[in-house]
Order: sequence, then C-alpha cells, then structure tokens
Amino acid sequence: MTASPTIPEALAGADLEAGSVHLLVRQELYPLDAVFAAAFTFIKDCWVLVDRADAERWKIVLTPKAAGRGADELQGWIGSYANELLSCAYRHRLAKENRATVEAVTTQALAGALGPPTLDELEDFDFSNEAFEDPLGIAQSWEEKYAKKPKAEVAPTDEDPGEGA
Amino acid sequence: MIQLAPLAQLDTRHAALFRFREVAGQVLLTNHEGRWLFLTPAEFDLFTRNQVAEASELYGRLKSHNFLRDHYDVRAAADMLRNRKRFVHHGPNLHMAVVTLRCNETCVYCHASRADMDAVHTDMSKETAEQTVDFIFKTTSPFITIEFQGGEPLVNFEVVKHLIAYALAKNQQAAKQLEFTMVTNMSLMDEDKLAYLIEHKVQLCTSVDGPAPLHDKQRILPMASAYAHASKWIARINAAYEAKGLDPTLYHVEALLTTTRATLPLWKEVVDTYVALGCRALFLRPVDPFGFAARTGPKIEYPRREYLEFYRRAVDYMIELNAQGVEVLERYAAIFLTKILAGIDPNFLDVRWPAGAGLGALAYNYDGAIFTCDEGRMLDAMGDDAFRIGHVATSKYRDVVGHDTVRAVAIASNLEATPDCVDCTYLPYCGVPPSHSHKTQGTIFGRMRESPLCEVHKGIQDYLFEKLAQGDARTRKTFEQWTTHRPREHFLQGAEAAKGSE
Amino acid sequence: MIELRFHREIYAGEAVDEAVKRFAGFGAFELVEEPSHWLVRFTAKTSARERQVAGEVGNYALGASAERRKGAA
Repeated sequence: MTASPTIPEALAGADLEAGSVHLLVRQELYPLDAVFAAAFTFIKDCWVLVDRADAERWKIVLTPKAAGRGADELQGWIGSYANELLSCAYRHRLAKENRATVEAVTTQALAGALGPPTLDELEDFDFSNEAFEDPLGIAQSWEEKYAKKPKAEVAPTDEDPGEGA
Repeated sequence: MIQLAPLAQLDTRHAALFRFREVAGQVLLTNHEGRWLFLTPAEFDLFTRNQVAEASELYGRLKSHNFLRDHYDVRAAADMLRNRKRFVHHGPNLHMAVVTLRCNETCVYCHASRADMDAVHTDMSKETAEQTVDFIFKTTSPFITIEFQGGEPLVNFEVVKHLIAYALAKNQQAAKQLEFTMVTNMSLMDEDKLAYLIEHKVQLCTSVDGPAPLHDKQRILPMASAYAHASKWIARINAAYEAKGLDPTLYHVEALLTTTRATLPLWKEVVDTYVALGCRALFLRPVDPFGFAARTGPKIEYPRREYLEFYRRAVDYMIELNAQGVEVLERYAAIFLTKILAGIDPNFLDVRWPAGAGLGALAYNYDGAIFTCDEGRMLDAMGDDAFRIGHVATSKYRDVVGHDTVRAVAIASNLEATPDCVDCTYLPYCGVPPSHSHKTQGTIFGRMRESPLCEVHKGIQDYLFEKLAQGDARTRKTFEQWTTHRPREHFLQGAEAAKGSE
Repeated sequence: MIELRFHREIYAGEAVDEAVKRFAGFGAFELVEEPSHWLVRFTAKTSARERQVAGEVGNYALGASAERRKGAA
C-alpha cells in the first residue's frame, strides 16, 4: 500500500501495484445511500467495492478500469470520489429536509403532464386487486355482508327462527 | 467581500427565508418566491443583526418586498410562486420532430450528429410522421409547437408537408393552439418551398454564427457560401412577411449562433452582422457537449469565463445600440430578465425547474423513437440511450410522460434538493438540464461547482444584476423592453377553433 | 484467483448470487459464506480476465444491492 502524499493515511490511500485507491469515510457523515449514489457515478470508469473498515467507517475501493495509472492519477480518483461523495451526502440530507416540497412539485408536474386517464386506459386498468385488508368489512357491499347464505351451508340450531320469521 | 457579523451576533429571527450574494459591491437578496432587493453592506449588516429600525426606509423596503417574517404576505408569495411554476399544470407543449438526419452542411459543432446526404434511411417516413402527430396530440397541454429539426429538415420536405397537413386536419377536432416552427440552414430554400412555408405559417429559424468568414468556416457548404444562402433568404423571408402586411418588428426570421472559440474575439462583429441582417434577437449560446462538438472540443471549446467576457462585451454593445434606437435583444438575457423583472417564467425548457425534459418537451427521432429532449436524442446518436422513453408506434402517452426517466429527471432538476443550488441566490430563476450534467459529469444529479452550464447561468445573472444595481435608467428601460412578450398570433393555428370552444 | 469480499450489511446475498450467475460463463466461481461477508472466489484463464470480470461482478452486485435497497425503502 502506498499512502497518498497529501491525504492522511487514516482517510485514503493508493495501491500502485493493484492500481486501486481506497477511501475511509465515517458512516455518521456519509450514509450508505450516499456511498452507493457516489459509487454509481464511477462504475463506468472504475470497479467499485464497498466494505466496512470498522464499526464506524466504510471503506470504498476504486480500481480504474484502464490499467497503468500513475500515483498522481490515482490520487485524482480519490479527490473525484470524495467530491462526489460529499455532493451525494449533502443531497441525501437535502432530500430528507425538503422531501415535502420536492414531492409536491414533482407530483404536480407529473400530474399536469399525465392528465386524467383516457377511457381506453381505464378499460385496461385492473380493478380486481384487493387494495387493502378489510377486517371490519367496510368495503363489502350490504348484500355481500348480510345476504342470507344458502340453506345447505347452514346447520340448523335451536335458535334458528326458520323461514318466514 | 461581504463581511458577515460574527455568528454569535447574527440574528435573523425577523427575516423570512432569503438567500444572498455580493453583486457589484452591494448585497443582492432573493426570497422564496423570487423577489429581489439590493442592500448596501451596511444595510445588510443591520438586517442580519436584526437592528433595522421600524421607521426606517430600509424597513419599508424589506417589508414591501416580503423579506420580513412578521409581515410576510403568504398569499402574495403563493401567487407569485404559482405564476412562476404554472407550466407544471400542463404536459409537453414543444415537440421536436427530427424529420431527417441528412444535412448538406457540415458544422464543426454539430450537436445533432448529422448524416451524409445519401443516408436516406434517416428520413422520417410519412407513416412515422402520422404516428408522431397522433402521439403529439395526446398531450395535456392546450398549446402545441411542432418544431421541425434535423439534420436539415428541408431535405425531407415532402414529409414536412405531410406532417403539417396531417396535424392541421387533426387539430380540427383537437382545437389546440397549434404552431409550426422550422430550424433550417436555408441553403435548400427556394421560392416554391418558401411559398408553402409562408402559406402554412411555419415560423423560420436559422443559424448565423457571425460575419461571413466565420460563418462559412464553421458551417461548411460544399462549393458555396453558407452565409450567402442564409443572409439571402433571411432578407427574402422578411420581405415576404412585410408584403403580407405583418409588422416587421414582430415577424421576421429568428437566428441564433453557437459560440465557438473563434467567435470570442468577434463580439462586436457578431452583433453588427445580426443587426445588418435585420435580426432583432441574438441567442449567444455557448457550445454544448453533444454530437460532433464532443470530438471537435479541442478546437472549438473554451473556458466559460472567456465566454462570459465575450457575453458581457456583446450585451454591453447591444445595450448601447438600443440607446441609439437600434432594437436588438439578447435571448438568454431576455429569458432571465422575464423571470427577474416580470415575475413570470417564459418556459424556456432548458432554464427552468423542474426541467422541461419529458414534461414540457419531447423529441421524436426520424425512426419514431421518443426522447425526453433533443439533447437526449443527441446522446442516443452518440451511443447513450439513457433518455429514450418510448416509440410513437407502440408507446402510450401516459407511459412516456410518466416514464421512470422523466420522473428521475424531474427530481434531479429540482433545485431545492440540489447542493449549491439550494443556497444560491439565483434559485428562483435558474435551471440546468440533467442531460447536460449526465453528459459532462456522468450523473443527472449535477455537481454545480463543476458544471459549465451553471457557470454560464450564474455569470449571466451576475451581469444582469450588476446592471440593475448600477441603476442606469436607459439600461433598465432596455431590459424592461426585453421582457415584453408580444405574441405572434399570425402563426397560431386553430386559435379560432380553440377560442370558439371556450 | 481473485477473492471478492461482499459485506452482508452492504450487499444483498441475492444480489451477489445474481452477479455471479450473470458472469458464470467467464470463469470458475466459488462462493463461501463468512459471518460478516459473502466471499466470491473467481478463477479465469488469464489474470487480466480475472481482474476485469471480478471487477464487473463487484459493480453488478453493487447495482443489484442498491436496487434492493430502493425496493425496501
């Protein structure tokens, strides 16, 4: 392993022989979703592996696909990933804080573009699925709930008033 | 440099949400609904320490512009925001029909990845044209603009005519406000084609890169001068409009340029060329990273700070010309100024959020493939189909505009959830298309500090607000004129039917 | 032989399985379970091929795990 000359060893390093770099980032600052999101930006140019360094830190290993990378270039990958990770972590926080606004705008924009379904589309729509559990029988029609069951299914009891009652 | 009070002395409990930025030695504030105000550094200091006297002029300004929490007019803010975002209530209104990739010119920056003139397989068929129109008319927008693009659309003129006829017939029932526009290099124009286009009210737009030597060097037309053709037909078309009794200040050929490295020193010559051609608007667009421009970048690209120097010089000159009575506007400035001064969004799809991709516009390739935007189509031509969302023959409208990609782009372009943008003073007015970030940074969620387009938008808005801060009355008047939208009703088709049905 | 270690907290087991299946034709895979990791050992004809395929398996597993996280969210 080669330590990057300008970045503390506790944060990042490069392996010239393997042609890879790694970053160690604190989980409390960089949630896993942000780590994934940042990794995605690099999977075209790098192979990316994410691991746990210890109980508090993730370890991200980037291996640029094009072989023969020098120390400077490898260090550049560290910086690039760190920038993207920061961006993703910040975005993750913003998305949480502004979720209501983003949802409202996106929903309205999509609703405006989609418009109401056409009759043809409604024809294709599957209305048969049970949408929810219904323990109180609220969604049942009166007939379904209270219709008399066929005689063959009901065992006569002393309390059975019989027909015509 | 703004000197912020020490953190312990900052008190903004009285303030409604605001963002701030130093512009021309003053502090520009903007609020949630896009109102803006300039404060001197001393005034800003008072504001941030909650030491503005109630009886003061400053307090009055802050109150009237809705920057004070105790007097925050929620209704007014909501109205303003609704006005700015009214485009979210409708579906795609701009439909770009790429009727062919064939083109007889070779442009150094060709974003469209044009094809050679023998590539007839890249012509849209009449059947695909009809399917495209059928799809277009499913939009929930009451407005439809069909924009013919290419390649060079005049190469496939028969299909252009067929599409127009089919759309007009369809609109008899649909009663949309329908318009046609065409982006053409003019070199294949002739009197017959012109007569048809004039009769069928097709708005014409062309490219003029600047003076003839520059234009001809960048837009190569074999054995001829591309500039000579463009300039000839601009004059001819403008004369034809005037002969029809149309107001020449409103009805004329629109032209735009793509700024390359060679353009940068020629800011004055570019403006003079446009004025001499009778063009009343320039769109000083920087080069985009799509198509051929991706390969020719080493020759034509430039740092965006150089573009912004060019931009400032050109627009300063245009402001001077306006003061001398020459009416000419810069389109980028007009877009931003309409948002800043008039409080409305002109719905320029590349500078809005959520982005217009898929929601405000759709692009239809010659083969019927549907894309969120023309840049998405260009990326597809470069081998990246990330923005392909359907096909006119097989896709349902709601599946296309509700496509995962459209949703992702809508979310990615929301500036309220974008680092940097969320704190940016220009958030109410701005927008960066995710397709641009995707191409330049590999993600639709752009890192704005590294975005050349963010640099351009910020730079233009800095320039405009500097001018506003200077307070020159003539400049302000020119800017107000640039925000004036005069509808070109002559080009609207089906308006009568639409009005009649109200 | 290249060994990939996929932490169970980060990668879904099904995602790793899916990645291995996807690239099964490119060499020999051995899967081992450890308490904290899924281990994938890969052998191919050349070290360059091993490096490339192992890398792509890792990327695929990352993507598939992210998909599952999205679905679970």
